[in-house]
Amino acid sequence: MHRLFLLATLLGGVSGGAHADRLTLFASGEDLATQGFAAPRLTRDGWALEFTRILATFDQVTAWQTDPPFMADGPDITGRPVSFGGPFTADLVDADDTDLVELATVDAPKGHYNALSWALVPATGGDAEGFSLMFEGVARRDGEEVEFTLMTTDGVMHACGEFVGDTRKGFVAEGKPGAVEITLHLDHLFGRADRDSGGGMNMEALGFDAFATGGAHEFALGRLHIGHVGEGHCHDAPL
Amino acid sequence: MTRRSSVFAALLLAAGVVAIPEAARAHAALIEAETVQAIRLHAQYDTGEPMVEAQVIIYAADSPTRVWGLGLTDAAGVYTFVPDDTEGRWTIQVRQAGHGATAHVELAQDAVPVLTASAGAAGQGWPQRALMVALVAWGALGTALFVLRNRKRDNASA
Repeated sequence: MHRLFLLATLLGGVSGGAHADRLTLFASGEDLATQGFAAPRLTRDGWALEFTRILATFDQVTAWQTDPPFMADGPDITGRPVSFGGPFTADLVDADDTDLVELATVDAPKGHYNALSWALVPATGGDAEGFSLMFEGVARRDGEEVEFTLMTTDGVMHACGEFVGDTRKGFVAEGKPGAVEITLHLDHLFGRADRDSGGGMNMEALGFDAFATGGAHEFALGRLHIGHVGEGHCHDAPL
Repeated sequence: MTRRSSVFAALLLAAGVVAIPEAARAHAALIEAETVQAIRLHAQYDTGEPMVEAQVIIYAADSPTRVWGLGLTDAAGVYTFVPDDTEGRWTIQVRQAGHGATAHVELAQDAVPVLTASAGAAGQGWPQRALMVALVAWGALGTALFVLRNRKRDNASA
């Protein structure tokens, strides 16, 4: 459904229709959210994870045109803002074929939105009420199977630079709507068995052993820095 | 003075073509050497470890969504390229293992380029500080431009 809406948005924009000069906000947990951690991309301690839901809540989302470009080297962004508002709670497992979940579309002046600020905040209602991030799923290792629910109440403010990925994003032109993206890197939380075990990510990541008893556990985001814009970085600070 | 104005354009082997056998003349090779202004980038992790064989994507100032050039950093994390005469903000992205960094270079006629790049943020953890891209050189770079001219031959199988 998201793809159809996006296609309609793009077609409308190309034809100069009502969707011109629009900016759409997406969220993504990448393919680790939609496909889980499967060999060889197991957690750093060797668990396969299959997620049924990943509920994340975002608020205070603002896209910025910055010049000179904001380089995610501090908490403050100076530029021309366009606010998406919030809060938005997204299930990052229920994403489209490109692992994106559409959150909102707003009118936006033309230009390049090369910075994005957003907060990961506890949800004020719904199944994830009280939690900013909640994982539900099944973990498997060596014939053992564990159902889990992992939650955090931590709030984190992010100030991000330009999206980095296969294509550049954030350009709004006449008849050409743009897109910005909040990206959560789940491997920062669980680690990756196929990456250097002594590397920064795996040294910091929680892994899954700590939750292997199953059931509900709370965790702290601490300094895991899961918030990104594609592969691009963010400055983050606890709320 | 343009960035290419220092071209000394030495035509090195053109005369040599005259002396080579007829069969070899069918694919004449010319080498023109010139000095150009080049941008050299150094991509590294905050540990100082170079980003080896990281993907480099270049966008020219006049077409910010179309890839102008692609490449890989070398064993020292260095990548060098020669921009064309397009003035304005060029964007270079360096990507490796799911993380990327962006740098910008402002090019203008008769002006030293201005670099905007992230050097990481104090107090941030490894992901935010992982990638640093620095403009380490802007200046003359001697290059050899190889020009292959495929001349039509009567005997295509020779």
